[in-house]
Amino acid sequence: MRIQFIVNGRQVERETNAETRLLDLLREDLHLTGTKEGCGEGECGACTVLLDGRAVNSCLVLAPQVDGKEVLTIEGLAPLSKSHPHHSTGRAKGDELHPIQRAFVEKGAVQCGFCTPGFIMSTYALLEENPSPNDEEILSALEGNLCRCTGYTKIIEAVRYAAKLMREER
Amino acid sequence: MGRQYLKVNSIGELLENLGKPGAMILCGGTDLVVKMRSGLLSPELLLDISDLPELREIKKNGSKIEIGTAVTQSELLASEIVRERLPLLITVLSQLGCVQIRNRGTLGGNLVNASPAADSAIPLLLYDAEVILTGSQGERRLAVKDFFRGPGKNALSNGEFLRAVSIPLPNPKLYPFFHKIGRRKALTIAIASLGALLHVEGDLIQEVRLAAGSVAPTPIRLRRVEERANGKRVTASLIEEARKLAQQSVSPIADIRASADYRRTVIADLVAHLFEGVLHV
Repeated sequence: MRIQFIVNGRQVERETNAETRLLDLLREDLHLTGTKEGCGEGECGACTVLLDGRAVNSCLVLAPQVDGKEVLTIEGLAPLSKSHPHHSTGRAKGDELHPIQRAFVEKGAVQCGFCTPGFIMSTYALLEENPSPNDEEILSALEGNLCRCTGYTKIIEAVRYAAKLMREER
Repeated sequence: MGRQYLKVNSIGELLENLGKPGAMILCGGTDLVVKMRSGLLSPELLLDISDLPELREIKKNGSKIEIGTAVTQSELLASEIVRERLPLLITVLSQLGCVQIRNRGTLGGNLVNASPAADSAIPLLLYDAEVILTGSQGERRLAVKDFFRGPGKNALSNGEFLRAVSIPLPNPKLYPFFHKIGRRKALTIAIASLGALLHVEGDLIQEVRLAAGSVAPTPIRLRRVEERANGKRVTASLIEEARKLAQQSVSPIADIRASADYRRTVIADLVAHLFEGVLHV
């Protein structure tokens, strides 16, 4: 079946089927490999993307379900926040980083990096809704994301810092 | 031919297709997609109801709140009327899964799944809610307690689906209590859980309703404990009796998460803990 949807600001049309997950569609068809597959059963959050503005596990959404909807992946964060919204690939360009990505780098919230795109997308969903979250709200927004390296302290610090950066840039 | 997918546009279209061999309803996919990937379920025709407006409404209907089967857990948590009138549902849902799961998972899906550990069954049992089941023959209502028939088994017959849940507005004096025992706070499948609605004045129990998850083939009300405690003052001996009655009311199994003995002990402890709390207010 043919589906149309928006990914990272770009309208795409693809042939897909009921065996394909949004995660597979993003990685295999659109080559947006920033979204990672961890557990494949909704426990780890590595595959988190935004679907119509809400954080979801892309391993639990079937590709046909996104027909007519809007998806945002880690590749869409930086260009969407900057001045070139209509690029052709749906992928980040150059060295520009979104303030959340910058905060994760600066605070050392990345070790192996596999969980990072998921954490950043969950953070993005949180900060879009709540620009000044308290620690409890941060923990609750990230409860669906697992990190096996960092012990979370640096990640929480990065989210606090990202919130500050984004408030300053608004 | 592989698996087919159909985005359903009306209840009529759903009913037309539901009786077909291998047809199964898909909504948030938080459970179904996992089971399809692991080979536990292999539907031939997926009927996606997640965008069907009639099934996505929360509405007040006289003295009842009706919640459509495809309303997500996040939408319930954001609903003003649910927040005001069904605080126990809010307490329970805010501990279910995680943000990503609640953004997709639905009330109907959690019930139809009929897990003995289904978190949202607890508040619905306590609120004496009904499920509304729709089939080509029409509609029938069933108490939530009669909807669960065993682990993974529900009362839906072939060609029928759960359209909505109807909850009578509870007495606002009933205070919500929920405690879930698990290995991790988020995304945990309960080892045991206890929910309660409690109206006390001083140490006098005006009304108590108790429901437990993961300690029987289905989520259950602890009627014998309720009967013993209603209208009584909380004393050490009442707490001990409640503890014993709770133990006798459950029939847990041992599984990968915990032993049967542990579950029986912990559910009794939770009941005792609830009543002890009354003394310390």
